[in-house]
Amino acid sequence: MTKYVIRRLLGIIPTLLVIITISFFIVRVAPGGPFDGERALPEVIKKNIEAKYHFDDPLVVQYGRYMFDVLRGDLGPSYRYKDHDVNFYIFQSLPNSMILGVIAISISIIFGISSGMLAAVKQNTWVDYLGMAFAIIGISVPLFVIGPILQYIFAMRLGWFPTSGWITGDNGWITVILPAVTLSASNFGTIARLTRSSMLETLRSDYIRTAKAKGMRSSVILFKHAMKGAMLPIVSYLGPAFAGIITGSVVVEQVFRVPGLGKFFVQSSFNRDYTLIVGVVIVYSVILVFMNFIVDIVYSLLDPRITYK
Amino acid sequence: METNETRKTLLEVKDLRTYFKTDAGVVKAVDGISFKLSQGETLGIVGESGSGKSVTNLSIMRLIQSPPGKIVGGEILFEGDDILKVPESELRSIRGNKISMIFQDPMTSLNPFLKISTQMVETILLHQDMSKKEALKKSIDMLKLVGIPAAEERIHSYPHQFSGGMRQRVMIAMALSCEAKILIADEPTTALDVTIQAQILELIQELAQKLDTAVILITHDLGVVAGLCDTVCVMYAGKIVEKANTDELYARPSHPYTDGLIKSVPRLDKAQNGKLFSIEGQPPNVIDLPPCCPFHPRCSRKMEICTKQYPPVVDLGKGHEVACWLYAENKENSTDE
Amino acid sequence: MIFKKKNNTAAINEFNQEIAGNSLTKDAWRRLRKNKMAVISLVVVIIYILLAVLAPILPIYPYDEIILDHQHLPPSFTKNAGELLMEKRLADLYTQAWRQGNLELTEEEDDMLWEWIDSNEVNKVWDYMYEKGNAMVAEGSYTLSSYEQRRIDSLEEDIRTELQITLKDVWYRADSGSERVKLTSLDTDEILAAYAQLVNISAEDQKTQYMKEIEQQVLREIKERTPDLSDEEYEILLNQEFNDMSESRLNTLIRSNVLVKLNNAIRSVGLRNLKDAAEDGTMEFPLEEEISISETISATIKASKVHERQYYLGTDYQGRDMLSRIIYGGQVSIAIGFVGTITSVLIGIILGALAGYLGGKVDYIIMRIVDIMYGLPYMLLVIIAMAIFGRNILNLFFALAIISWLTVSRMVRGQIMSLKNQEFIEAARSMGAPTRRIIFKHLVPNSLSVIIVFSTLRIPSFIMTESFLSFLGLGVQAPFASWGSLVGDGVTGMTLYPWKLFFPALVMTIFLFAMNFLGDGLRDAFDPQSKNQL
Ligand SMILES: Nc1ncnc2c1ncn2[C@@H]1O[C@H](COP(=O)(O)OP(=O)(O)OP(=O)(O)O)[C@@H](O)[C@H]1O
Ligand SMILES: [Mg+2]
Repeated sequence: MTKYVIRRLLGIIPTLLVIITISFFIVRVAPGGPFDGERALPEVIKKNIEAKYHFDDPLVVQYGRYMFDVLRGDLGPSYRYKDHDVNFYIFQSLPNSMILGVIAISISIIFGISSGMLAAVKQNTWVDYLGMAFAIIGISVPLFVIGPILQYIFAMRLGWFPTSGWITGDNGWITVILPAVTLSASNFGTIARLTRSSMLETLRSDYIRTAKAKGMRSSVILFKHAMKGAMLPIVSYLGPAFAGIITGSVVVEQVFRVPGLGKFFVQSSFNRDYTLIVGVVIVYSVILVFMNFIVDIVYSLLDPRITYK
Repeated sequence: METNETRKTLLEVKDLRTYFKTDAGVVKAVDGISFKLSQGETLGIVGESGSGKSVTNLSIMRLIQSPPGKIVGGEILFEGDDILKVPESELRSIRGNKISMIFQDPMTSLNPFLKISTQMVETILLHQDMSKKEALKKSIDMLKLVGIPAAEERIHSYPHQFSGGMRQRVMIAMALSCEAKILIADEPTTALDVTIQAQILELIQELAQKLDTAVILITHDLGVVAGLCDTVCVMYAGKIVEKANTDELYARPSHPYTDGLIKSVPRLDKAQNGKLFSIEGQPPNVIDLPPCCPFHPRCSRKMEICTKQYPPVVDLGKGHEVACWLYAENKENSTDE
Repeated sequence: MIFKKKNNTAAINEFNQEIAGNSLTKDAWRRLRKNKMAVISLVVVIIYILLAVLAPILPIYPYDEIILDHQHLPPSFTKNAGELLMEKRLADLYTQAWRQGNLELTEEEDDMLWEWIDSNEVNKVWDYMYEKGNAMVAEGSYTLSSYEQRRIDSLEEDIRTELQITLKDVWYRADSGSERVKLTSLDTDEILAAYAQLVNISAEDQKTQYMKEIEQQVLREIKERTPDLSDEEYEILLNQEFNDMSESRLNTLIRSNVLVKLNNAIRSVGLRNLKDAAEDGTMEFPLEEEISISETISATIKASKVHERQYYLGTDYQGRDMLSRIIYGGQVSIAIGFVGTITSVLIGIILGALAGYLGGKVDYIIMRIVDIMYGLPYMLLVIIAMAIFGRNILNLFFALAIISWLTVSRMVRGQIMSLKNQEFIEAARSMGAPTRRIIFKHLVPNSLSVIIVFSTLRIPSFIMTESFLSFLGLGVQAPFASWGSLVGDGVTGMTLYPWKLFFPALVMTIFLFAMNFLGDGLRDAFDPQSKNQL
């Protein structure tokens, strides 16, 4: 097991290398960067960047230095803001995004699994149809449609929630609800459908028949015998789900004015503040890569058939 | 061997029909089957693959997948009560407790996510008044009984760490540990090699005798049937074509299909001219069969009427029943109908 | 997929049962037709595609035609723009009158209106005031002031007379004897001369003026690209830009500049000529005719009354017709969805087939790339790409295609790995068929149905991705539209103008639903085992 964990950890390295390399080339070589004559930057920033990148050094040396910096957690100065460097802005907004993301993924997992299980157990009843209707809505309707519409109905028309804002503001935690629900919609749908179909398949399997033949209660069968097997596809879906949450948060933060990383990301891509964009992407990628790693480990813990070669 | 009449009837299946709705049509997997099982009796069910043996027995346990399957008619009387009508909660006290089953496919019938110990212990705890420790001990004993080496350690493994044959033995141990009144064994020895096969079958028989358990033994192997069973049902395309006392059946196989089956068993005492007998052709697809004897395309003694109507069940005496036009008396009348 | 006529002598088995043919596509097609949702969805998708393809010949207004007067008109089937404008004007006047105390209402009504205003529901106030005001004027309890009457009259006049002129062609005739030619076929200097003649300025003065204008224009572009610089820095950049600019590019800039001016001049002359006719009703509108502008220039114009336009789905913040924008937006979205999917599937097939068939190092490298890309938040990479290479449809399209081949390539590789060892491939190889031939003749067709089903399932997510970026403003740019950018536009001001959000969202959602149902139906049809799996 430990060996397996180490092997998977080593597997992360190439991905991180690729991320850093792409980032380096974007910052250093991409057109419109500070080293591109076309782009004139304010003096202070220019100085900062020159000091940082030593761009009279050979490219290899620069690359090495850049990688070292990133690995150390130093993402460099911003192209746009004079006062602080990229790290400052990221660590200011990251916690907000994390809160939103964690709540959203929790909502989608909890509600997705429970409505998927309900739908499977009550197959072809109105419970099933209702649950699956919601799931399909979650999957088919893009979140930038769901978000504004929820906002329109529940905030503007009904006035149950504030239209925007964040927990740090006057309204407190209630502000999280709409953005988190919006962000969880598509994962909720996918998880609910996945749970339903994998639960149905598991319930049809021979070993569940064996359990029934032993005369066990259906609740015991469901939770003790069927649950583990049925959860495997959901666990392996969690990787893409995290990616979806990250991508989705970009829009949701925009719609609900959440002061998070995603909003920063969009802003800086309009400003072409490359160091900041790249910094955000590195942070997101690292989160994603580690999430995938954890998911893998959880999967291998759940499925005894996995061998740790 | 005692005759059926003297012993109490435990299970009576009357005109059981189990159909499957599929894309291609309705599969009449079991279509009007009746038989009786008495206490301590061993009943053999033989037939080609797809003839409906497993479906019959799953129907008895009410374990048919629905949809697509449905028990559309008949009664299954267990100790006088119709299993098809009892509520789910009562059904649980029958399953595993009074009727237990060894499933055909050992590779998929054990839960891959739970340890063998968990699966065995839970079975025992469910119907017997024991502590966990005692249950574990009993499980180990049962595993030893079916010949699992180092059972004390191996019981804590997962199913995938066992070979197919070992898994089948675990299944058997699990079913036997229930000490049920009826044991349904669906081809319990298919995954085992020959030496173990005999051993296991003997074990089943021994335990059955000790506990006075009735056994339904499903098999392809007519040799096994001859050695173990009191009564034999021969199934073909969802119907019982011949039913008789074992000795009677071997002495006087009446249905051409039974005849063919017995002839196709390789035997050492008869010269075979170096060639095995086999029944030509394939068993029919049981979707939308027209009214006729389903065996007629393969039958060497086919008559005109066989293609038009299903034969009536004829009692040849001593409980020997056969469904074949060869023995029906009112052939002429029936043709006109 | 019925290519062959039904065979009359169907195969019959020994039980006189017909043996149905077991063609996969036929079977799948039958199963698909049984699935009601899938059939409905198929119809919906076909309708959408037809609308998108036929958009240019549909009787709808141009999607990029800006009529600022018609800003934010609500959707209406019965009233044309003029009537809506009048309603708006009246509601406005009544409301003002009420707020100034000239128009008196009961106390309850006052409370109600203030409550609406407080809860940001100004629409309700207008609607109410319009009804109420009209009723009060009718029964004589409120008389319009002369100022109000003037405002109403002037709007009425505008509605009656304001024309919209589109230039179809502009003709140039050097002197009365010569053949007339299209203005656009002349070279820049000639156009300059023609314009100079029209407005009576020397061509030289013209040119210097244009240079100034172009300078401004370029400067604006630079400022947009790199904001927040000092003036000197902009100066430097501007000079640099002009130094780098080629002769022909400058020429085009001047040319397009003067053409715009010329067209405007012609339009205003045309307007002047036709306005009187519109006023006294001597001419029928809409009309299309050739008018002469000066001795040398004439133009074929189309004229119609602006305020007779009808907006079934309302207008946006620049008075553009929402119906037409949604249809053209659909064209862009659907096109990107389909073409993008096809491109990415093709890339996926090629790389997957190579990996699967060649195996070894090639396989290893391709699959490593796939693995690594899977681990990246690639949507963000697309956003970066858009930031670097500029936001336009083509870049968006490439960025999307490049990231979406991953799953297809894995699938194709898997299929090929399993097919590779089958006998008929061995046979082909032993007969000396070259690798490439084997792949494309045997392996790819064998995996085709899986790929088709997968692609159908991909299309909606492709469309979603595109719309996602356009929503953020990183995708399709105005005047072009896509569903995503329309929804994005609609979000601003959605309390006041909900139709701007509602219609594009609805249209898009219906399409995505249909695509998802169709994809599910196809998958179930082709692979009945995987019922309802994802
Ligand atoms: N879930 C199902 N759906 C559709 N048809 C089924 C299903 N289960 C069984 N059948 C059909 O019922 C018939 C009888 O099957 P059954 O499993 O009882 O055969 P069997 O006699 O046990 O064969 P074997 O010796 O191979 O185990 C077969 O034709 C099979 O196709
Ligand atoms: Mg069977």
